[in-house]
Amino acid sequence: MIEPTVLAAAGQVGEDFFKDRDAGSLCQANNANLFCWDWAKNNIDRYEPFFIQHVELVVISVLIGFVAAFGLALLSRRWSWLRVPFLLGTGVLYTIPSVAFFFLLLPFTGRGRDTAIIALSVYTLQIIYRNTILGLDNVPRASIDAARGMGMTDRQILRKVELPLASPEIVTGLIVATVSTVAIATLAALAGGGGLGEVIVGKEKLGLDFKTNLIIAGGLTIALAIVFGLMLMGVQRMLTPWRRARPA
Amino acid sequence: MPSGEATTDITSASGASSVSYQGATKRYGDAKVAAVDELTLEVPAGEICVLVGPSGCGKTTAMRMVNRTVEMSSGDILVGGESVRSKDAAQLRREIGYVIQQIGLFPHRTITQNIGTVPQLLGRKKEWISERSAELLSLVGLDPEFGDRYPAQLSGGQQQRVGVARALAADPLVMLMDEPFGAIDPINRERLQNEFLRLQAQVRKTVLFVTHDIDEAIKMGDRIAVMREGGRVEQYATPAELLMAPANEFVEDFVGADRALKRLALMRVSDIDLWEAPWATAGQSTAEVRAKLDAPDVEVPYPLLVDAERRPLGWLSERDLAADTVPSQPDSPLGPVLDRDDVMRDALADMLQGGAQYAAVTDAGGRVAGVLSVEIISEFLVSPAAKEEEHGAAERPLSTEKVDD
Repeated sequence: MIEPTVLAAAGQVGEDFFKDRDAGSLCQANNANLFCWDWAKNNIDRYEPFFIQHVELVVISVLIGFVAAFGLALLSRRWSWLRVPFLLGTGVLYTIPSVAFFFLLLPFTGRGRDTAIIALSVYTLQIIYRNTILGLDNVPRASIDAARGMGMTDRQILRKVELPLASPEIVTGLIVATVSTVAIATLAALAGGGGLGEVIVGKEKLGLDFKTNLIIAGGLTIALAIVFGLMLMGVQRMLTPWRRARPA
Repeated sequence: MPSGEATTDITSASGASSVSYQGATKRYGDAKVAAVDELTLEVPAGEICVLVGPSGCGKTTAMRMVNRTVEMSSGDILVGGESVRSKDAAQLRREIGYVIQQIGLFPHRTITQNIGTVPQLLGRKKEWISERSAELLSLVGLDPEFGDRYPAQLSGGQQQRVGVARALAADPLVMLMDEPFGAIDPINRERLQNEFLRLQAQVRKTVLFVTHDIDEAIKMGDRIAVMREGGRVEQYATPAELLMAPANEFVEDFVGADRALKRLALMRVSDIDLWEAPWATAGQSTAEVRAKLDAPDVEVPYPLLVDAERRPLGWLSERDLAADTVPSQPDSPLGPVLDRDDVMRDALADMLQGGAQYAAVTDAGGRVAGVLSVEIISEFLVSPAAKEEEHGAAERPLSTEKVDD
């Protein structure tokens, strides 16, 4: 498990955050209480900046990861010998334990959001790359043959035939990558990257001891993952009207 | 299927270009044997040229060199007198229709969008494309309402029709068809072949048609190039010539031992000189009928009993003729009756089925036009005159309409 000293370095929010704003309820004083409704009602807004940071971490990391993985996929579509090294490379990066990754980066990039974003982006590479090449592989050869035979250029084939047909798999990769990034981003706090992780741990592990806080922060994380997942599934549906066409 | 009435601007289109192979060669890497070796072939504008041969003979490679989906190693191919290499490959391909066995419709595009592929590449507007698409759909025998569907919602045969419509969309001067009906079940294949021949009679494109099926080649081709390994053309001839006089043993083997019978599939009863029918009507004097039978140009040994409209009723036997007048009920049954428009192969099959040496042939009005005999057919198959007549038959598009005489 994570070293206490590491945790101590992580959280940014102190006692003020967890103290009841109105001091009306003493619920949070007792660590045995599972959930303090009054505290939650009165202090939920305190999570807003961390929630926004979290969203930013996820969106920026997935976007960077997507652009990079997509580029790798296009390169390995052109030069197929690149495929194995890319799969292995992104695979190895994916297996590095996230906590270790943050700390490995610290000497180079220092504490802060950039470090977190680098690590989170790298984690998305394997999933997005793998799904993108899978999607491109699944495009029927005959459609590409027909497209070329009818006078589409390579670029037109990619844009008008291959990418639309590969989009279901590509978006599936994005969904998996986004949802897992929402989860891993809670560890960004270990690198000083902000996000809901800051509140979950808290200064001197104060956050960890306060169950109401854990439930709220955890709930927000889960909700965020669900919202992102649903949004992307909507995008997928929009991109693929032909898949719903039933034989008439 | 719509009939020939679909007179759109497609049918009165700009026409077709000749295709001329001039020593076209394709060699893959360092391979000792060329895939296609010095191919020289002239395909006249507006004709269907079938490239046929066993797998690996280079027929598909030869076809693909025309739109440069396979690049020649040496030699040249001219389309309408212009080298295919004088243009950008993508530009060239937009001017050449392309149909493949796997059809290759785009699953994510509607039928209209599929048909509009090349027009769209050429910058045509959406309205133009949907109009064109509807026109083409009815030309290939599909409801224009199919335009909004996706390929997965169509049967294999319907998809192949869309494939043909898509190839015609930009009014190409040449069409390349690579085993276009190869993946279709036999019954639908026959229908699609017939439909395509009727379509071709309207649009008159120059078609390069690849198949490994000699029967399909004979049916579809105005000319057939029989190819063997190395892309060598063993014989380039009309279907009738090919069946009459195979150039060598390879062609003879490829065409098959039943080539004599296959020739019969190329012609109709009306293409052959029938025997005159010595006919008689009930109540006529038998002496008169006997005199008719004895005439020098009459070869049928029995007279045919006909009614007042000269419709055949039956054959009169020796016993019938023993009486003074022709009876109204003939001794022998009529047996098979053929139509002048029947395909010879079917006519022969009918006669064999009925165990008949002779069969009455009627015209469109059901009146006796002559007599066909097994003897005529077998003489025909060995006579050199057959060649010319068959050629005439082969040029006639297959259709169900009656021939006017």
